[in-house]
Amino acid sequence: MEDFLTLLLAGVSVGAVYGLIAIGLNLTFWTTRTMNFGQGSVMMLCAMLTANLIARGWMQGLAILAALAVIVVLMVFTEMYTVRPALKIEGSMGWAVSTLGVGIILQGCAALWFGSQAVAFPDVIFSAVDDVVIFGVHVSLQYIAVVVLALALVVVFELLVRGTVWGRAMRAVAMDQDFAAVIGIPVRAIVLGSYIASGLLAGISGILVAQIGGTVDPAFGFDLVIFGFVAAVLGGMGSTPGALAGGIVAGVLQQMVGGYISSAAQHGMAFALLILILVVRPQGLFGQREINKV
Amino acid sequence: MTLKRRELLSFTGAAAAGGTLGFARRARAADPIKVGFTTALTGPFNEFGEGYKRGIEIAIEKINKAGGVLGRPIEIGVMLDDQLIPDRSVQNMRRILDDKSIVGLFCPSGSGPTLAVIDMIAADGRPTMNPQAQTPTVIYPNGPGGKPRPNVYTFSIQNDIEANFMAALLAKKFTRIGLLNESTGYGKTGSELIKAGIAAANKDAVVTNESYNQKDQDMTAQLVRVQRARSEALMVVGLGADMAVIRKNMTRMNMTIPFFTSAGGLSPPYVEGAGDLAAGTKGSQFKKISTVPPAPETKEFLDAYKAKYGADRLWGTDPEVPTPSMGGTVATGYDGMLVMADAFRRAGTTDAAAVIKAMDATKGFPGCNCTYEFTPEKHHAIKIGDLTTYEFVKKDGRMTLVPTAI
Amino acid sequence: MIAPRTVLTRLLTHPAFILAAIAALFFGCSWLSGGTVQILTFLMLNILLAQSMNLLTGIAGQISLGHAGFYGMGAYASGILMKTAGLPFVVSIPLAAAIGALSGYLVSFPAGRVREFYLAMMTLAFGLIFREVVREWDGLTGGAVGLSNVPSTTLKNLSVFGVTLDAIDYFRIVVIVTAIVMWLVHNFIQSRHGRAFYAVHASEVAAGCLGIPRAGTKRQAYTIGAGMAGLAGGLYAHMIGYLGPESFDLARSIEVLVTTVVGGLGSMAGQILSAIVFTFLPEKLQVFAQYQFIVYGAILAFTLILLPRGLAGLLLLPPRFIKPASLRRAGTAGVAIRPVDSDRNAALVVEGVTMRFGGLTAVDDVSLELHPGRITALIGPNGSGKSTLVNVVSGIYQPTAGDIRFFGESIAGLPDHRIAGKGLLRTFQDPRLVPRFTVRENLLLGAHRRYRTSGLAAALSLPSAVREEAAFLASVDAVTRMAGIADVADRPLESLPYGYRRLVEVGRALLAEPRAALLDEPAAGLSEAEMALLARMIRAMKDAGLMVLLIEHHMDFVAELVDDVVVLDSGRIIYHGDIEGMRKSPAVIEAYLGTSETEGAHA
Repeated sequence: MEDFLTLLLAGVSVGAVYGLIAIGLNLTFWTTRTMNFGQGSVMMLCAMLTANLIARGWMQGLAILAALAVIVVLMVFTEMYTVRPALKIEGSMGWAVSTLGVGIILQGCAALWFGSQAVAFPDVIFSAVDDVVIFGVHVSLQYIAVVVLALALVVVFELLVRGTVWGRAMRAVAMDQDFAAVIGIPVRAIVLGSYIASGLLAGISGILVAQIGGTVDPAFGFDLVIFGFVAAVLGGMGSTPGALAGGIVAGVLQQMVGGYISSAAQHGMAFALLILILVVRPQGLFGQREINKV
Repeated sequence: MTLKRRELLSFTGAAAAGGTLGFARRARAADPIKVGFTTALTGPFNEFGEGYKRGIEIAIEKINKAGGVLGRPIEIGVMLDDQLIPDRSVQNMRRILDDKSIVGLFCPSGSGPTLAVIDMIAADGRPTMNPQAQTPTVIYPNGPGGKPRPNVYTFSIQNDIEANFMAALLAKKFTRIGLLNESTGYGKTGSELIKAGIAAANKDAVVTNESYNQKDQDMTAQLVRVQRARSEALMVVGLGADMAVIRKNMTRMNMTIPFFTSAGGLSPPYVEGAGDLAAGTKGSQFKKISTVPPAPETKEFLDAYKAKYGADRLWGTDPEVPTPSMGGTVATGYDGMLVMADAFRRAGTTDAAAVIKAMDATKGFPGCNCTYEFTPEKHHAIKIGDLTTYEFVKKDGRMTLVPTAI
Repeated sequence: MIAPRTVLTRLLTHPAFILAAIAALFFGCSWLSGGTVQILTFLMLNILLAQSMNLLTGIAGQISLGHAGFYGMGAYASGILMKTAGLPFVVSIPLAAAIGALSGYLVSFPAGRVREFYLAMMTLAFGLIFREVVREWDGLTGGAVGLSNVPSTTLKNLSVFGVTLDAIDYFRIVVIVTAIVMWLVHNFIQSRHGRAFYAVHASEVAAGCLGIPRAGTKRQAYTIGAGMAGLAGGLYAHMIGYLGPESFDLARSIEVLVTTVVGGLGSMAGQILSAIVFTFLPEKLQVFAQYQFIVYGAILAFTLILLPRGLAGLLLLPPRFIKPASLRRAGTAGVAIRPVDSDRNAALVVEGVTMRFGGLTAVDDVSLELHPGRITALIGPNGSGKSTLVNVVSGIYQPTAGDIRFFGESIAGLPDHRIAGKGLLRTFQDPRLVPRFTVRENLLLGAHRRYRTSGLAAALSLPSAVREEAAFLASVDAVTRMAGIADVADRPLESLPYGYRRLVEVGRALLAEPRAALLDEPAAGLSEAEMALLARMIRAMKDAGLMVLLIEHHMDFVAELVDDVVVLDSGRIIYHGDIEGMRKSPAVIEAYLGTSETEGAHA
């Protein structure tokens, strides 16, 4: 039983982060039907910058804010110079290739500036030894903190989207960009905003994951973004609660398979799940089938 | 008159002969002995490649300062970068092998690239030193008991030696052992060998073996399985960064069983990642290089390294005593170059066949990591006795490796 | 002065040059060093890989992010089959290609049901799963330690028919295989199959309405592309002798993607140039290794934006999709349109069709009939449901209620490409053509459904395939003359003014030898002269016995052509009869001009 709870908590915690990443991916997908294939590098860069600044003596909070600020600039650059021009060119998916390219550039730059080896990531929220005993089971506060933070972010985000004018504007842009432009919504700003928000979510996810693991290196983040994508597809690309649910399902499933069946199968399981969902139910658990007007 | 002419002739002849000889000697002195290698000089694994390259360079400086070998200086003729990518290693090694002026070779870092090029090297026949790859099949294609490849010699800790060391250690104190390994060649072969070693020492031992991927951030599932089997100790075959992740994970799960790591884990990245949690971790590593006081041949190397690079990341946290993993990252290159040069000297030539004969007769050569001995049947040098157990201990506010009994 | 691009293109694609280059490699290799022969062998493999991705991504437009997985499937398949099962080289290599092709097919299986973006993710997931499976299944693949002792030239234990091959023999074999594969692919691309791939890429909807099955075409592209990659993998395995999972990871997939993008998506010649650059560059520029990630990343990030056609766009003429040999044989004796055989059942019957989108009823209980040799106009204010009706009849939408019978057979609910396959063609209000194709290529696309020769015949350039293409090209020629666009037949469509595009679209419909044609506002935006040409084409359709439905606003244009008129308003038919009657019908007048209260058109 203790094992089950341990696995469950780890799964929920890791899954909540997948969900956060998924929401970030969803955001840009709604507004522009594009996705940042280099999202993993955004996570990595934020975590590495934070670690680096803290190592230089900066205050933790300040370091995180500074890293996030850099991410904002980066996302603006990505949207303006790699996504927008690619969308102007006719035909499928140049944006996939170009955002992937940005991700790879970031990986190369990080290796150049910070070295290719793993860098230690300090404990930001609690430390590995902090725990709380619930029903006789040691429950790590780090995991709980991650779950709580992720949930809080999702709630805040949903409130923003449903409750504020900006949120409604974003949904309008998501439904029909041209129409939204015609009725006076600043589409450019919203699209840019969605990329920035997506980057911020990714950056925060990066910090959360890095602090669980304890190290960051330039290749960090790539696999995580795939898991984020699995979560997004599992939950349905249109839905925020779906993304969180999808992430948690994916995370828990991973841990259960690893814990009860085979640890070797753990990794491949997430990818197999992706393929399964795409074949059986592409709109995910909570999404809707899309209709295109001709 | 006749005498004078004869004297003149002989004098001229002698002078000419002497002049020619002197001329030839100068030509040979200017004609360096070249060695070549391809390794990970850049990229995510460059500490290994950069490391052994430094070892070779320091050795070459030492040799040339003493007049070179066979009256000729040694130099690195070709040094190529493969970033530990096997295809690149293959292309690079082909280029190196085409260069007939290279008389001595070093294997790439890492088992993957080395396995990719080893057949090429064996077919070529030139003497080759392996500084870091640990998979036994690099040297012994038919397994550790079989015949070695005639021209390849290893200076690394072979997986089976390390495994036997650790297996003996673990089997002596524990009966239920958890064993984690990274899903690479190093991890897989290491854990297979340890399992076999433990089973041989104690057939009632229970070993729970799980694998993880490098750079995984969460190892909860693997640790739960180890815990479920009521393991009394945990041994991990892997590298430092992942070791830190595992350690933190264990702490979060309140797993307090003794924690052991392979040589690859007892490295700076582990300490950097785990911080104070590293305390109490034990593992095996090179013995000689961190022995205090150091042997004269070791001291010579350490002083030279410190003079050139200072007590840097490869050296470790204690400025006085190098971290034992330095034996594997840097000193194997140093020892390898010195042993090769010694073989050239004893053979009196750089011709492959003669050099190999000399290598196979290496005996009692003092190196940083051990005293080297090779025979036609044994092409590995590090023995169990050259390893020792270390433990991470916090000393003077720093996490340092201290030799310990198990 | 001939442009340098033309010179370069003619030189590089000239058969004599190509044969000379192959011969130079084939015979000259015995003078080269071992290292050079090896790197040239790598070059051939990289060319194969680049071509495979070019076919899949450049031409069919399907982004493949796990291509190294297909490469690896072939490599391990051949390596394992030779080493463990003892199969001979000449069997294991084709099997490697087949296994690669099979994995491509499986990955693309959901092609019909998901957006392209999901397919791209599937390829990514496939690549990652492949690596995981290889690593874990050590019994079969050697796992992380890798598969050693694969029969190879490095180990000097590779023999074919009893002859042990050395590096030079192997290189020769690889050169020949690469040359043959490229020849086959080149023929394939310049056939209706290659054009279909590109059409699906450029305009999915248009492709469907020409009878090109979208999902099936995408699957075909994945299968062939992955098969080529598998073949390259098999050849790789027996050159190098050792297979490790690290050789087939994401970094390798990215390398192939970079090579293809730089070469120029869509251009075979560009891929060769690019493969040369990326095979030799890392070798020559050792310092490059440190900046490699940044350089590759920058290439991916900006090439498609700054230099979308890559090296090929810079140095060469755009690739063409028609075999010159077929063009030469075409002659000028073609006929633009042949009379349709009469058939008692010939009719398009629309019966009680209703189309609802959620709460909106776009088409409300519409019934009409089309008969051979008659042109019916479909008229109505904007938003009255005309285009929607055509969309329903042509299979883009499934009707909410009602039936549609074509030649007695119910076609309601069939997908668009199937309906087009039966001879019911439609054109779009907004021309759906392939901008990069020439006029000729666009027109030829119309004949797609009429081809009988197979892909294999096209790839082998069999006389039957060449003859068939030539026959259609003759018809194309005739259509260009009828439409008055013969002088611009070889210009890319995107360089021509709007009016031409409309004419091409209608001309394309002619080439499909339809039995019924639904034309959606073909005269919009045409000049007087162009309208006359258009009218000529439409009359030719009528004379040939086609059923024609013509949606139009241009009353004068319509009045001269049509036999009867159907008027729609808010989805319902408010008049059906001849033009004279329509002008006098009160319902029509009210719909167009409104009642005394200001009404305007309904949605």
